[in-house]
Amino acid sequence: MNILMICTEKLPVPPVLGGAIQTYIAGILPHLHRAHRITVLGVQHETLPNEETIDGIHYVRVPGGIFDTYCDHVVQYVQAHSFDLIHIFNRPRLVLPIRQVAPHAKMTLSMHNDMFQVAKINREEAVEVIRQVSAIVTISNYIGQVIRDLYPEAEGKLRTIYSGVDSERFLPGNHSKMAPIRKQLRQAHGIDQKTVILFAGRLSPNKGVDKLIQALPELAKRFNDLALVIVGSKWFSEEGTTDYIAYVRSLAKRLPIPVVATGFVPPNEIQHWFAAADLFVCTSQWQEPLARVHYEAMAAGLPIVTTARGGNPEVIVPNENGVVVERPEDPQDFVEKMAYVLSNRTLMKKMGENGRKLATSLYRWERVASDLLRVWQHVEQTELSPMQATVSVEEIVEQVVEKQPTEPVLQPLKPIRKEVASNKKRKKAFVWAITT
Amino acid sequence: MFIEPWIVDETMHEFFVPDYIEQMAEDVLRHYDLSVQSRQVVTTKPDKGGAIWKLETNKGPKSLKLLHRRPTRSLFSLGAQRYLVDVQNANVPPIVQTKEGIDYVEAGGKLWFVAEWIEPLFPVTKDLEGAKQLCYALGEFHRLSKGYVPPKGAEIASRLYKWPKTYEKTINKMDWFRQLAKAYKEMPASAMLLEVVDRFQVQARESFTRLQQSSYHQLIELGHSEWGLVHQDYGWSNGQMGADGMWIIDLDGVAYDLPIRDLRKLISGTMADLYRWDAQWVREMIRAYHEANPIDASLYDILMIDLSLPNEFYKNLKEVVYEPELFLTEQTMQLIEIIVATDETKWPVLAEIENDWKENGNR
Repeated sequence: MNILMICTEKLPVPPVLGGAIQTYIAGILPHLHRAHRITVLGVQHETLPNEETIDGIHYVRVPGGIFDTYCDHVVQYVQAHSFDLIHIFNRPRLVLPIRQVAPHAKMTLSMHNDMFQVAKINREEAVEVIRQVSAIVTISNYIGQVIRDLYPEAEGKLRTIYSGVDSERFLPGNHSKMAPIRKQLRQAHGIDQKTVILFAGRLSPNKGVDKLIQALPELAKRFNDLALVIVGSKWFSEEGTTDYIAYVRSLAKRLPIPVVATGFVPPNEIQHWFAAADLFVCTSQWQEPLARVHYEAMAAGLPIVTTARGGNPEVIVPNENGVVVERPEDPQDFVEKMAYVLSNRTLMKKMGENGRKLATSLYRWERVASDLLRVWQHVEQTELSPMQATVSVEEIVEQVVEKQPTEPVLQPLKPIRKEVASNKKRKKAFVWAITT
Repeated sequence: MFIEPWIVDETMHEFFVPDYIEQMAEDVLRHYDLSVQSRQVVTTKPDKGGAIWKLETNKGPKSLKLLHRRPTRSLFSLGAQRYLVDVQNANVPPIVQTKEGIDYVEAGGKLWFVAEWIEPLFPVTKDLEGAKQLCYALGEFHRLSKGYVPPKGAEIASRLYKWPKTYEKTINKMDWFRQLAKAYKEMPASAMLLEVVDRFQVQARESFTRLQQSSYHQLIELGHSEWGLVHQDYGWSNGQMGADGMWIIDLDGVAYDLPIRDLRKLISGTMADLYRWDAQWVREMIRAYHEANPIDASLYDILMIDLSLPNEFYKNLKEVVYEPELFLTEQTMQLIEIIVATDETKWPVLAEIENDWKENGNR
């Protein structure tokens, strides 16, 4: 098919400025163009030409920044060209304007966060958008569920496609490529003899690193070799410092353990800090779509402590590749879960190894791309009626299960006592994910 | 060259502006059909990178403003200023266009614009009469701002849908205050802060519950331009008396919102200045506002809820996050005592006026 992929108005592709959606697009592109003719329409950036073809993919870049400006340019472009399928990333509000000028193209959507919330798109428009698209892929079951709760009519069109990670770039600290970097980084910051806890993410109340900092005095009493690394921008600069960062900094000043705040780390160097760490902690307080850092931590062979918020726990099998903090608003819950992991070195090692296995099998970009190709293939075979034919998830899943050879990536799952009940559901989703 | 915030120390003039910005100001002014006789800085925002100059020109006094916000955000405010002058004939300073007929000049990654310098302007008296004049002018401003639609390319600046989030933030920040008071417990104000933070957090939770049960969620469905704009920085300096009535200046921060948020800020700030809540003041301020921009019972209810938030405690204590070791001093301890004492006078007043709008229907 002749396919147009439309990015958001905010950040350019390739991800020269980072960004989760942009990383996702860049990750799958190499695996898409063999099957289809791909054009990527995105926002301009001073370091990138407005039009180019690289590795068989045609890039077109138009003015953006503000949604309305971008929308106008996108519509102009679509009007002047013809495509069989138009895949839109995370901007449901582009669907109807594009439908106006592309009445015969099939349309699909990728949803990465809460852009279907009522504050972001009004109900009538959302209903029509859902009618007009043939399929909606989401980056987690959670995101799909949020859409389903708001718009039950989306049910048949939703399909979770988990994201991926470059496991050649994110490598465990004991990998030959990483060992020297790990050693150098740890020595340079005086934490070479420590058990290094890593937080990587935006410094905001939603991401909740303050809860981790509040858990540390207690943990420091039980483990005498801890150090904390916080990878996230804005730590030092006065300009742009938020109240929250100031708060976190004031708390961290009083910690009894070494704290390394790296400030901004360029996206292409961030893997070094994952390799330098021993335990990854995600402290998200908000209903997060599903943070990329989980995949990166798995690829880096780190045991994960994450929170039962949004899509995050969907990629954790408790005790196999990490543990889940059920009450993330309570630092004491972090104390308990982290102490449990930290006190068992064998468990930590096993979790890291399982994570790495998952990253190199289930969370490959190739797998992400093939899932998307399958959705497109199905859409291609579906007639486009004036009322828009619906694609049922059951059909897609059937296809997927038939076609994809399953490989066991984990040993049989062994639940721990306390969390069995709450994890049953999650595990089901997970098993479904690793077998499809 | 991009405009950055600058640092001012005690060796510098109060209104110091870096040379490169003064140079830019000169370049900007070349876009205008004005012969500028003098240019004088009248206020700065060094921490954000903003400044205002007063110009004497062949066409009378003007102001030149360097807006510190993102250009697309500034476009929203400039559009509002033009709307208020052109369409609504409001008493806000008219924008002077460039030779090319544009409302602004982009330089250093920011927007600059020239407006009329309104003379004479006098602050109203700092008493109930003055407060009522301010409230009436505010109501008028809100009423006239309805119907505003930002120009193409502008960001939508809105707080309309964010009330629950703002309330939650207030609740959560009380946790921060508590944690910092614990982490810095040897500081003079820490014990006092720990002692009172619970009660203010309870107040904030209560306000949040009331907001969620109020008609807020229905009210906001009216939408942005039907509600109009709030000023966000309104008071005795940005509302002043001119030759022919009240003028409202410094519109850079305008955003869509429920209008009574400006009124709430004006009331709670004024009561803080009085060191006590006074039912007569509050009633008359609301009434003066209501004359210019009628408030119905459901909006009055939201106003009562917003007044019930521990606004002054929050506003005065939030600085603690920056340097607790410098902030949690004896003086802060006394400040907390004053806030607590003032707060105790708030509740009887709110109880007294609670049903004002119910008894009389929509006045």
